[in-house]
Amino acid sequence: MSEPLLQVNHLATEFTTEHGIARALDDISFHINKGETLGLVGESGCGKSVTALSIMRLLPKPIGNIVGGEVLFNDQDLTQLPADEMHNIRGNRIAMVFQEPMTALNPVYKIGRQLIETLVLHEPEMTSSEIHQTSVNMLKRVGIPDPENRMYEYPHQLSGGMRQRVMIAIALLCKPDILIADEPTTALDVTIQAQILQLLQEIQQENGMAIIFITHDLGVIAQLCDRVVVMYAGRIIEQADIYALFDAPSHPYTQGLLKAIPGIDKPAKTPLSTITGMVPSLFNLPSGCRFQNRCPYTENRCIDSSPELDQVKNDHWVRCYRHKELTGAKI
Amino acid sequence: MTQYFIRRLLLIIPTFIGITILVFVITRFVPGGPIEQMIAEAQQASQQTGGGLNGAGIGASTLDAEQIRELEIYYGFDKPVLVSYWQWLSKVVQFDLGVSSRYSEPVWDTIKERLPISAFYGITTMLITYFISIPLGYWKAIKHNSHFDHVSSIVVFVGYAIPAYVVGIILLVIFASNLEWFPMGGFYSEDFEDLETPWEQAVDVFYHAVLPLMAYVAGSFAVMTFMMKNALMDNLAAEYVRTAIAKGIPFNQAVKHHALRNSLIPIATHFGNNISVIIGGSFLIEKIFNIDGLGLLGYESIVERDYPIVLGVLVISAILQLFGNILSDICVAVVDPRVQFR
Ligand SMILES: Nc1ncnc2c1ncn2[C@@H]1O[C@H](COP(=O)(O)OP(=O)(O)O)[C@@H](O)[C@H]1O
Ligand SMILES: [Mg+2]
Repeated sequence: MSEPLLQVNHLATEFTTEHGIARALDDISFHINKGETLGLVGESGCGKSVTALSIMRLLPKPIGNIVGGEVLFNDQDLTQLPADEMHNIRGNRIAMVFQEPMTALNPVYKIGRQLIETLVLHEPEMTSSEIHQTSVNMLKRVGIPDPENRMYEYPHQLSGGMRQRVMIAIALLCKPDILIADEPTTALDVTIQAQILQLLQEIQQENGMAIIFITHDLGVIAQLCDRVVVMYAGRIIEQADIYALFDAPSHPYTQGLLKAIPGIDKPAKTPLSTITGMVPSLFNLPSGCRFQNRCPYTENRCIDSSPELDQVKNDHWVRCYRHKELTGAKI
Repeated sequence: MTQYFIRRLLLIIPTFIGITILVFVITRFVPGGPIEQMIAEAQQASQQTGGGLNGAGIGASTLDAEQIRELEIYYGFDKPVLVSYWQWLSKVVQFDLGVSSRYSEPVWDTIKERLPISAFYGITTMLITYFISIPLGYWKAIKHNSHFDHVSSIVVFVGYAIPAYVVGIILLVIFASNLEWFPMGGFYSEDFEDLETPWEQAVDVFYHAVLPLMAYVAGSFAVMTFMMKNALMDNLAAEYVRTAIAKGIPFNQAVKHHALRNSLIPIATHFGNNISVIIGGSFLIEKIFNIDGLGLLGYESIVERDYPIVLGVLVISAILQLFGNILSDICVAVVDPRVQFR
């Protein structure tokens, strides 16, 4: 097996807030290979965005800080990289698309300028007409009709779906090795969502980039990803390839998420199952396993101490004391 | 867009008529109008000279009924309000604002003399305020919560808490009266006309302007600085700035090229709205520094019931305000492409 493209080892990130220090990420480790799509899934607030922002070193300063671990990319630890070298990686080798296309573009500048900016920065040898042409071609590639004229329009003149395409175009301009997509379709209509997902898949097939796809929607994961990392309250609780995860989920939380997907293969009027309770606040984490207060299988040892990630099979890891009896259980 | 502004320009006419009718009517019903003032003045004069010759006769002896009637005709008080308003208005459109009852000079001439003085102070103050507030607000936002931010906030708050005229008085006492570094007041020296070169004249004007400008700026830079700081802080936290940084743009360039322009939108809105204040001047500061500006003129003419001047000043400031609003819209449209005028 070749070396992974990006490797996150024991990453820990904290926020200094008025209520104290919140450890938003605790011992996060995963990797992504070239050309692969890795899904990052979990309920809202479990630390998916913070993971992405930590990799990109985009945490809000000065409150958000990486306090431990490393992010290895091309034999470099991104967490230790000087600022100017990080500038060369952002938007160039690792690009990011955000959740809210309505606010992610600068309202006062034309679309064209916002594309060109990236190329001017990272492709200094390109002439301005090459830059213009590359930008127009990229708009065309992401499915924006009449791209030449769109270059001269402002973000507010485009729909949400079109803006997200522009964001994707900006991210793809420098042919990054990794695209981090943080819930890129959550704010969009279902039909637009399907189009954007298809677009990402096509482009990935063309240029072989790796994608870290963040979502709370396991349905989207099933459609897009090769491997999945499931997060809960700042920790990874399960990690597996897509087939293992859907066929034999090991963690009760993953099982709960899977059951909560509405499906057309389920009999009509089946009540949607939900996981009871709420994600605990980072200031009020339960003792032991962080899922212990919502888990139907909690035992004394779950309350006493936190389980470590344990190997189920090859590449399938889970953080649960009882995974051997629960794996693949129909609950 | 053009259509919108043509419509806005046309709307000035009814708004203008509305404002002036209101004030015209008020001047009719507020006691102590020009005729009563003249009666009182004549009375005083006769008391001083004639020494109570006709003590019981009150006004009748000093101004007889015929004279009062003449005055009423002169001021149009003999006709219904709207008729005399119409007469006044039809003169106004020919730049005839009547004659001041105090100075016996055409109102338009008086205003023409005073307006540039206030405008000079207003525009200079505005330029200095922008020159201080925008960079200061910018650095306060970038260095939010630093020592620099806290210390400068204290200065800004003190400037905000002390009224501009108090600042003016303090400056006057210290730098003009005690230290005698600057003149006590006036727009320029008595020998201004004798100064050789335009350069010397300009220096003279600015020499006189230092203290009043400091008072003006002290009163206006606090609001502007905080407006700038808050706007920039909001924009620094905006997602598009994060997008810019995610593209690989260094933070300080993302601030300069992305956040700054968006932060100027509220400043631009503020600018046009304040145009009449900017040009009109503050009567308190003008009074303290003995500057013959429009603000002082307006104030004094109200006190002395010099209605032609009151109305004249009102006409000018209403027009400035109305054009200022339009200018404000143009500024906003220039900096913010989302603003669409239809
Ligand atoms: N700017 C911030 N300040 C303080 N806490 C934050 C901030 N951003 C995120 N967090 C905390 O980090 C945790 C994870 O947030 P996030 O990664 O945004 O969740 P999600 O999985 O929905 O993307 C949350 O509990 C949140 O309270
Ligand atoms: Mg998120």
